[in-house]
Amino acid sequence: MIPEHPMASRRGGVSRRQALAHGTAATLAAARALAPSLFVGCSLGIRSGGTTVPVGLLHSQTGTMAISATSLRDIELHAIEQINGSGGLLGYQLEAKAPDPRSRPDLFAKRATQLLEAGVVAVFGCWTSVSRKAVLPIFEQYKKLLLYSVQYEGNESSKYCVYGGSVPNQQIMPAIDWLTGPDGGSKKKIFLLGSDYVFPRTANFITKRYLASKDLRPAGEVYLPLGHRDFTAAVQQIIFSGADCVLNTVNGASNLGLFQALADAKIDPAKLPVVSTSIAEDELRSLLPHQVQGHYAVSSYFQSLDTAANRQWIDGFRSEFGSDRVTGDPMEPDWCLVHLWKAAVEKAGTFETEAVRQAFRDGLSFAGPGGTVRLDPKTQHCTRYFRVGRIRADRQFDIVHQSDAPIDPDPYPQIAFPGWSCDWTKGGITRGPEVSIDGDI
Amino acid sequence: MDTDFFWIYDIPPAKLALLSIAVFVGFYWLGLIFIRPILRQFVKNTPAANDIVGYILSCFCVFYGLLLGLIAVTAYQNVSEAGSNVTREAAALSALYEDVSRYPEPHGQNLRWLLRDYTRYVIKYAWPLQQRGIIPEEGTIRAEAFNDRLLDFEPRTPAQEILHAEALRQFNHFLECRRMRLFSVKSALPGSMWYVMILGSILTIVMCWMFDMKFIAHLALGGILASYLGTMMYLIIDMNQPFRGDVSITPEAFETLYRRMNED
Repeated sequence: MIPEHPMASRRGGVSRRQALAHGTAATLAAARALAPSLFVGCSLGIRSGGTTVPVGLLHSQTGTMAISATSLRDIELHAIEQINGSGGLLGYQLEAKAPDPRSRPDLFAKRATQLLEAGVVAVFGCWTSVSRKAVLPIFEQYKKLLLYSVQYEGNESSKYCVYGGSVPNQQIMPAIDWLTGPDGGSKKKIFLLGSDYVFPRTANFITKRYLASKDLRPAGEVYLPLGHRDFTAAVQQIIFSGADCVLNTVNGASNLGLFQALADAKIDPAKLPVVSTSIAEDELRSLLPHQVQGHYAVSSYFQSLDTAANRQWIDGFRSEFGSDRVTGDPMEPDWCLVHLWKAAVEKAGTFETEAVRQAFRDGLSFAGPGGTVRLDPKTQHCTRYFRVGRIRADRQFDIVHQSDAPIDPDPYPQIAFPGWSCDWTKGGITRGPEVSIDGDI
Repeated sequence: MDTDFFWIYDIPPAKLALLSIAVFVGFYWLGLIFIRPILRQFVKNTPAANDIVGYILSCFCVFYGLLLGLIAVTAYQNVSEAGSNVTREAAALSALYEDVSRYPEPHGQNLRWLLRDYTRYVIKYAWPLQQRGIIPEEGTIRAEAFNDRLLDFEPRTPAQEILHAEALRQFNHFLECRRMRLFSVKSALPGSMWYVMILGSILTIVMCWMFDMKFIAHLALGGILASYLGTMMYLIIDMNQPFRGDVSITPEAFETLYRRMNED
């Protein structure tokens, strides 16, 4: 027995030393017991940096392309929110970073660099080909994926780009077939009208070659700057050319001016229909119905597609973004593209670019609102349906024609680019003779 | 209390209060055991030492209590002012939405759609960032997109001119309110106030250690005092940043507006 210290005071039979020892032991035990529950819910900063993965959304939210491109940002946000809501991707929440390139190609390049330097794992973005071409070298330099969902002119395939939209053999060439066939009115004099940049120029080059293969020549060809609003002179040219149809590759807000000029010239869509490649339901919101009714658009998807999957998708989007929101062509391929990328990441088990590209090689498919699409591993393009819609007064389309099955992509149609092809499962691009887009046929 | 300490706000409020009390009581008790015996050496031979320490502590506590009270009021005013800014922004947004609803189509629909997009962004994306003490930037892009589209509209009648002028005025008011909300994301008590407050707490506790009384009574009475100091500190921490913690501003004004926008 240890003798009690003479200075020890008594506290009801307990010495101060004992009280201290018991108190300290009790405090430590309480601290040990409470600590885990006390800090539950406290991330100490790890949550914000450790369990999210940044994804870039590179779409113009101001400027001439904003009218179209903002909807792509929204559908991507919707897809990302849905993925996050169902537990995320590989256990990570996707964090959308959406800067505004303001419809300027130079800013697209700058914003793309900023996104890639900020560590995004992939970027969904661009609308115009000029913007896509401005950023592709940057993606190739950083070895990151650009996922591009808008229909475009083809004649391109990048190792670091996945293309979700239609290429000419999926949209413009079938449109020519339809227009020159009995269902389209057996048109012979097609006028080519476009914005002055890569897509319309290349698309019309392919169109001219394709028309030539049918012993036809365009009735005329006019290009106006992107963002141009005064189409009065162009419409006069169309009238004087004696065209029986206009193939419209004008993009963005310029379509307001075009259809205003057509209406002012009292063009009857039954006699001189305008077939647009870049007008969907979202663009129709800004066009006056009486100016566009009866004209056509060619696309891989229309909101009026009457399927259960499509209705469910539209309802989901509207419940989040408002009941008056519409869906359209680049939005549906964009939705499919986000999910194809998700499937590839899941298959790869990582966000690392090369592993994701490797996962593409198995030919992933996704049952989208417009039908099942498959990612062609050779071209890194998607299969697409071809559909023709006639514009209604309620800013929707009557689908008047549809391909029997999704059309396989061919970014280098041989009629325009002989000898050219690509196969990313083997050696990449096979080069043929150089083709001058501006050359006469 | 800047971004270095943002993790504090990730702790659930009840647990943060408990943690704050535990820190103060723990400090008091540990000091009682380890530091008090040293401190007592300074006053043990002083006659009526408890009375002297008591007088000094009373005097000190008047100043410290006043300081704590004023700081708590200031912190509450910060929260309250930021809350008013949020309400004003939502009200301005609502008025702007009403104005552009009277625009001819398709301008009206496009403008309404952009305002809905902005409101959705504030609720879904800006608020969580604000709660982490980050000023959300992408709302600026949405406001600019609306401004672009608003300026695209060219009035064709005198009535449209008046409506457009009113929408522009309302938009400028909205921008002011929005900017004030963003400023308040980072608003907090200055660092010097925190130093003075914490020093005051320590001095209060140190002076209490100098009292000569039975150990268990010291533990109990000191613990009560320290727990209240911890509670006060929790209250000020919680109100320090308007968008963080339990006493913080919610996006309710925007949520109500967004529901109404979607009902239209």
